Amino acid sequence: MMRALPFAFGLLLLILWEAVVRLNDVPPYIMPGPLAILIALKDNAPDLLAGLAVTLEVTFAALILAVVTGVLIAVLLASSPAAERTFFPYAVFLQVTPIVTVAPFIIIWVSNIFAVLLILAWMAAIFPIISNTLLGLKSVDGNLRALFRLYGANRWQTLIRLSLPACLPYFLGGLRISGGLALIGTVVAEMVAGTSGTRSGLAGRLLEASYRLELATAMACFALLSASGLAIYALMQMLSRRLLRHWHESARLEN
Amino acid sequence: MTAGVTLRGVGKTFAAGIEAVAPTDLTIAPGSFVSLVGPSGCGKSTLLRMIAGLAAPTIGTVERTDDAVGFVFQSPTLMPWATALANCALPLRLAGNADDARATEALKRVGLGGFESVYPHALSGGMQMRVSIARAIVTAPRLLLMDEPFAALDEITRFRLNDDLLALWQQNRWTVVFVTHSIREAVFLSERVVVLAPRPGRIVADVKIDLPSIRAPAMRLSHAFTDQCARVNAALSAGEDAA
Ligand SMILES: Nc1ncnc2c1ncn2[C@@H]1O[C@H](COP(=O)(O)OP(=O)(O)OP(=O)(O)O)[C@@H](O)[C@H]1O
Ligand SMILES: [Mg+2]
Repeated sequence: MMRALPFAFGLLLLILWEAVVRLNDVPPYIMPGPLAILIALKDNAPDLLAGLAVTLEVTFAALILAVVTGVLIAVLLASSPAAERTFFPYAVFLQVTPIVTVAPFIIIWVSNIFAVLLILAWMAAIFPIISNTLLGLKSVDGNLRALFRLYGANRWQTLIRLSLPACLPYFLGGLRISGGLALIGTVVAEMVAGTSGTRSGLAGRLLEASYRLELATAMACFALLSASGLAIYALMQMLSRRLLRHWHESARLEN
Repeated sequence: MTAGVTLRGVGKTFAAGIEAVAPTDLTIAPGSFVSLVGPSGCGKSTLLRMIAGLAAPTIGTVERTDDAVGFVFQSPTLMPWATALANCALPLRLAGNADDARATEALKRVGLGGFESVYPHALSGGMQMRVSIARAIVTAPRLLLMDEPFAALDEITRFRLNDDLLALWQQNRWTVVFVTHSIREAVFLSERVVVLAPRPGRIVADVKIDLPSIRAPAMRLSHAFTDQCARVNAALSAGEDAA
């Protein structure tokens, strides 16, 4: 019952929207109703799905790259206070820099458009992975550390058997944020890079459609992107639950 | 083979300037069972960690004749992502031994046969503590250091584990250093009870327990036992009055 509430509310909004548009005869190039958007989605389905595929490809490639490099960087930073002192400010720098402002340079330096998008989305996604994993690595229980020392564990064993598992909940918390950021980064990058043609992503198509005042198609793109963002979040949530279900509070509260 | 411990002028002052342990001399003979008792905050845990080599003394030297140490922390200190068996087998696996038979055996010894694949969160506090004890004995250490291992347990379980620990000790003749705040527990288990006083932590009495070396459970009710408890209690009170 309670689960249905947000859906019922959404449906109500859509009906209201459709009614306002119809009753006031709003032209579709100003504001299409939800039905018109649905029709645009159906009519342009192959085209839009191809665009979505391109966007998601970049998003996931960037996310995977951010996970691999982010965890590596966090492990390096955690290995010595001097390393953290020296390099963490630059991670923060990466985080606070709006990627839109870096895009023009990357576009000049890198010719491959996929690589451009990947770099920008990666920049958008990496910080939560670094900062959360680092926090996790530094929060390992001191007595467990002592225990590993007592039994002569080497650095590698301590990392694999203690530090990484212990920081998993923190890492997954970062991953959930980064999943959304990778998508946002990809979309922003696509818009700035101004990709067009058959290999362009969904954001590029959204822009094109809006230039042509095909607002229904543009909003269909928008709807697909939002849905993808939600799906990515749900995916990360599921992954998190699966990995933590045996031992972590966050995954246990549910069952 | 068992290991002895010699502390020479060992003291620890924390960064905040708190003198947790004043320079202390203590010799623990190989194969003996020694308890450390004292009020909360008197430096028992700190002393034990220095014996284990987990904390560096500010001054003085710690000598152990052997490095095979088993340690039971005051809290269970289990890896929440690993099963009881994996937790118990940790010392073996770190040494490159993938055979879990000894870990299974150790879990049985502490009464946790059948709980191998259970995760710590699904175990009671006492059961978690017993996994921690199983982990400490799984390597058959020659020096077993225990920090209030039974403090969180009910008296029934505690008595049973006390009896089991004594049986283990009599079988293997490991050296055991046992921290507790229970006088009765210390007297029941030990050949020797070292009494500490706080601020700064220091040894105020070293009581040799005058009881038969075979300690039957019924001994807890004997007069001789009560007498020994009274001796330790007197030493504790004297230490606290002096502080
Ligand atoms: N890491 C630390 N930093 C600063 N002070 C500490 C630290 N660990 C312990 N102390 C101080 O050292 C003193 C002794 O602590 P310790 O844990 O050894 O006591 P204890 O005898 O084991 O007490 P309890 O019976 O409550 O476990 C305490 O006063 C405590 O405040
Ligand atoms: Mg203590």
